[in-house]
Amino acid sequence: MIGIISYLVFFATVAGILSIAVLGLNLQWGNTGLFNGGVVAFFGAGAYGTLILGGTAQADHLGGFELPYLLALLGGMVIAGLMAWLVGVLTLRLRHDYLAIATFGVAVAFENLMRNAEGLAGGAKGLRGFERPLRAWLGDGFSYNLLFLAFVLVLLIATYLFLETLIRSPFGRLLRAIREDETAAQSLGKSPSRVRLISFITGSVIMGLAGGLYATFYAFISPQDVLPILTFQIWAMLIVGGAGNNRGAIAGAFLIWGAWTASGWALSRFAPLDVQLYTGSIQFILIGFVIVGMLLWRPQGLFPERLVVSQSRRTKDVSQSGRRKT
Amino acid sequence: MTHRTTRAGLALGLAAGITSLGGAALAQDCTTKIGAVLPTSVDWGKPIAATAQYAVDLVNEAGGVAGCQIEMVLRDSQVDPKVGVDAAKALVDLDGVKVLLGAVSSGVSMPILTSVTAPADVVQMSCCSSSTAFTALSQEGKTKGLFFRTFATSGVQAAVGAMVARDKGYKSVAILYKNDDWGQDIGKLVAADLASLGIEVTGSVAINDGQASFRAEVTEALKGNPDALYMALYPKEGTAVVREWISLGGTQKMIVANALKSDEFRDNVGLQYLGDTVGTDTASPRSESASAFVAQYTAKFDGPPNGPGLSNSYDATMIALLAMEAAGKDATGPEIAAMIGKVTDPEGTPVTADAAGFAMAKEILASGGSVQYQGATGNVRFDANGDVSAPAVTWGFTAEGNAELQYITLEEVDAFMASVK
Repeated sequence: MIGIISYLVFFATVAGILSIAVLGLNLQWGNTGLFNGGVVAFFGAGAYGTLILGGTAQADHLGGFELPYLLALLGGMVIAGLMAWLVGVLTLRLRHDYLAIATFGVAVAFENLMRNAEGLAGGAKGLRGFERPLRAWLGDGFSYNLLFLAFVLVLLIATYLFLETLIRSPFGRLLRAIREDETAAQSLGKSPSRVRLISFITGSVIMGLAGGLYATFYAFISPQDVLPILTFQIWAMLIVGGAGNNRGAIAGAFLIWGAWTASGWALSRFAPLDVQLYTGSIQFILIGFVIVGMLLWRPQGLFPERLVVSQSRRTKDVSQSGRRKT
Repeated sequence: MTHRTTRAGLALGLAAGITSLGGAALAQDCTTKIGAVLPTSVDWGKPIAATAQYAVDLVNEAGGVAGCQIEMVLRDSQVDPKVGVDAAKALVDLDGVKVLLGAVSSGVSMPILTSVTAPADVVQMSCCSSSTAFTALSQEGKTKGLFFRTFATSGVQAAVGAMVARDKGYKSVAILYKNDDWGQDIGKLVAADLASLGIEVTGSVAINDGQASFRAEVTEALKGNPDALYMALYPKEGTAVVREWISLGGTQKMIVANALKSDEFRDNVGLQYLGDTVGTDTASPRSESASAFVAQYTAKFDGPPNGPGLSNSYDATMIALLAMEAAGKDATGPEIAAMIGKVTDPEGTPVTADAAGFAMAKEILASGGSVQYQGATGNVRFDANGDVSAPAVTWGFTAEGNAELQYITLEEVDAFMASVK
């Protein structure tokens, strides 16, 4: 029994961390229409930033600043934000698929930089030497995981409330206006490029927060953690949950991560012995089915965006005509 | 001869099984689970998992561990740290395993160690993680002595690679390494070893996998016009790299690390281009148990154990199960870890790496003795950090697969490594 609780705490922590990243993407894609194909770069910037700023000194790479934990986490977010600003200034004039390709490139470049810049980030063997906060006091058993889960949930709720307030504010309406029809927004005297940049940076800072928490939880990060598969996973979570709906984003994260892990568990338990070796491949097929099925039968996601009346009939063709204009 | 030994071994195992049948009635009643987190969705990961399962089957055939049958719960790591860590956590929490085999990539094994096995006092035994970071972590006392690996640190292979270059009289060598933790480690080590032997390293180029073409990297490595090429690559990108290397006029004098010891690589490149290629590997052992392992494996899987990490996976599983046997029923992780020395004791009674050997070890351990496990990778012996050193072999490709060229004993390896430091 205690084992099940202990595992569920562990699961909820990872799912909670991923939820935060999905919320960040939801601000960018769901609310502003920015196709960020490089989620993992900002997630990774937060992760590496937190460990470098908060870790103990290591012989072979940068680090050892040993900042207090919250400061290190904040530092990681700032680094993710700075990177988003740089990337945003350079690429946000691009739309849709072009922006996706550019940001995907940034993510691949980021991973390669981390893999090769040994002096900066430890190279392929990754970054170690991080002491989890309060570990000396709590040990690293169940009670620690429980406390860390509480910490993650507090941050998840805070992020959720912040985003809900944001999108209900006039600024949130502005984001949607730009998403729906940028020219119209501009004709009202708004500055779409500035607003898009702000949204992009805010979303990326949130992803950086998720990355920082992720690295803290494992006390380790390596280039293997920042492969494009993570971008894909986070996108799948948002699509299944429902783009434009923050509750959907969180539900999607828990559902997809749950399906990802539960399918592996179920196959290891119930699959006959002679197909055990192939469960890994079967799992990929199952997950692919879930996502394709979702796109076919419920493309708006489990929790569709709740639109105000003035927009409700137009969303579909606007997203199409928006593409044509680029 | 080999066959007769195997058959005798099997008969002995069977006999041991029957004699302990009184207790074996009990043995059927309980099952002890061990966990395995291995990349079964990757082509080279499947045989590693199959080999581990094979070792478990043999042990069960010999009557199981501490009176219980062993069930290996296998989970796929997908080479994704998140997925691997989650699988490990599920195995520890939901299945209550005290021993975890895995993972393969150091980038997955490391977070499993720091966030799952070490906090939960579970023994982690990796077949294939080579990163030097584990040694450092152990020296800091953070592994709690629970981490072991049967994969000799990259130092042994790098040293033997340099030794081959010296013995062949190569004056200059270019290095191509896989751009991951294993490749970066071994690339750096072999460069240092070559330099200290006075052999010029004309270039050291990283190979990122998943590229359509490696022309740029190969051209870069060709620049210094080296006598020979050293490669620490996996079969997939190794094939592509060697094809381009040969077609651009590179030398066929190649030295390769054990990851290229694969039939797939030989077939895809073509044996006619690999005549001058010398491979290195940590030891294929000199004991009868080892030939028995090869024979048994060949019979079971319709081919010799030619893939990377197979003998390491076999030994990791066997040693873990022996330690569980020594620690007794319902032992905790630290108790099992403490017994690893007792089953790999150089002073102990030698036991072979098959069902008969396991049955024999059970008797010796029951009477309070210690055993020396003679495994598929030699007489495995762990140092204080859970690392192994090992004797080494050089090998070449043949029409049948690959064949050993020279055996280098543990003493020779250690002496050579000391001389190049």
